[in-house]
Parts: sequence; structure tokens; C-alpha cells
Amino acid sequence: MINSDIIRGHLESVILKLIIEQDRYGYEIANCIRERTDHKFSIKEATLYSIVSRLEKRDLIESYIGEKTHGKKRRYYKITSLGNAYYYEKKQEWLLLKSILGTLLEE
Amino acid sequence: MKSIKNFVKNTFKDVPKEIREEVVSSVSETLVEKVEDLIESGLNEQEAIDKAVIEFGSVEDYFEQVDKRARREKRIKTIKHYRNDLIFSSTGALIIIGILIFSNLYYTPSIIWFVIPMLAVLWWPLAVLYNLLNKRENRREKDDE
Repeated sequence: MINSDIIRGHLESVILKLIIEQDRYGYEIANCIRERTDHKFSIKEATLYSIVSRLEKRDLIESYIGEKTHGKKRRYYKITSLGNAYYYEKKQEWLLLKSILGTLLEE
Repeated sequence: MKSIKNFVKNTFKDVPKEIREEVVSSVSETLVEKVEDLIESGLNEQEAIDKAVIEFGSVEDYFEQVDKRARREKRIKTIKHYRNDLIFSSTGALIIIGILIFSNLYYTPSIIWFVIPMLAVLWWPLAVLYNLLNKRENRREKDDE
């Protein structure tokens, strides 16, 4: 398992990206992260919920109660236009960082 | 599902009152969702609850990110306070020294004695300045970490 300190600073962007793809609820996000990274990285629920609630407070995402199959209620999160803009900015930042580290570390 | 609520309540019992209720209700809501999903995927209720509780993490995980920001704000506040202290102490020292010079020159112009108590009074703003500089240095070190 990778040291989560390195990823931590980018978790906001990761979560925003997953919500941009489609509206998702809390556990679905955690699951997505685990599956896409092939179980190499899994986010702790505690961390996830604190980030999500912070994103919501900053109006980057909004939540609504939706229904899953079998009529069970889920709190879904949806991206706002502010969130989209913020994600775009973060992504540019990430691309820059990636190219810098790429130049410096790769042989 | 009651045990989930109890677990969350217990986990966040030391959180400040103002935010506790909000945190507990939102976290237990999402945890219950997770338990329901796990049950759907084939676990029985007890297993699902155990899994959710084990994977949850700790209060530190929840507050780690928020904390850093809050702590930084608090530190800046105290530095502002020190700055105010410095202004206050310098003004106070200047007034006292002014009175000393005046009474020295007015009543005993032949002996210059005001320098001695002036030195004593000067320690007040100097001590505050020392504290302020220390505080700044601390902040710089912590930011570097």
C-alpha cells in the first residue's frame, strides 16, 4: 500500500473528478477509488467524509437525496459550476507537477 | 443500524459541541449507506457493520486536513496579538520615559538620573519584541516542515 501522505493533497481533485463523471454517493466514491487503483490505494472513510463535507461547504459540490435500486435512499453528490472550474484549475496544477517531476526523476 | 450510530457517537465524543451533531449525523448516514451496500453484496448484517467500522479509520483521519488549516489560522492570530502587545508596550514605555525626562529636567536639572529608570522601563517592550520574534521563527520552522 502506497504512503497516503503523498496522495492526500490530491484527494480533493480525485473526488471531484469522480463526481464530475456522474453523480455518486459516499461509499460509491470509496469503492471506485479502490477498484480503479486495483486495490493499491484505498481511502479511509473518515478521510473521505471529511473531504466531501468540506467540498460541500465550499459549494464545489451539492447533495441531494436520490434513490438507488430497491428504493433505498442515498445521499448523492453533484458537481456545481464552481466545482468544475476548481477541478479544471487543480488538473492544470497536477499536469504541471507531473511534467516537472517527470523531467526531474525520469532517466 | 443502532450500533453504527453508537459507534459514530463514541468516535466523535471529544469533538467540540458546535459541530458534533452535524458530523455525527452526516457520518452515520453515509456509514449506514455503506452497510446497506455491503449487505446487498452478500454479507450478513453483523459482518457488514464490522467491516464498515474497521475500515472507517479514526477521528484523526477525519480532522487531519481541517486541523492543519485551523491551527495555522490560530497561529497567525497570536502573532497579531503579539504585534498589538508590542505597540501597546512601546507606547506605554514612551509615555513613562517622557514623564521621567520631564520631572528630571524640571525638578533636578543639575543631576541626570532619568537614564537609570528608563533602562528598566525599556525591558518591557524589549521582552515583548523578543516574544514576537520567537513566535515568527516558530512559524517559519513549522511552515518549512
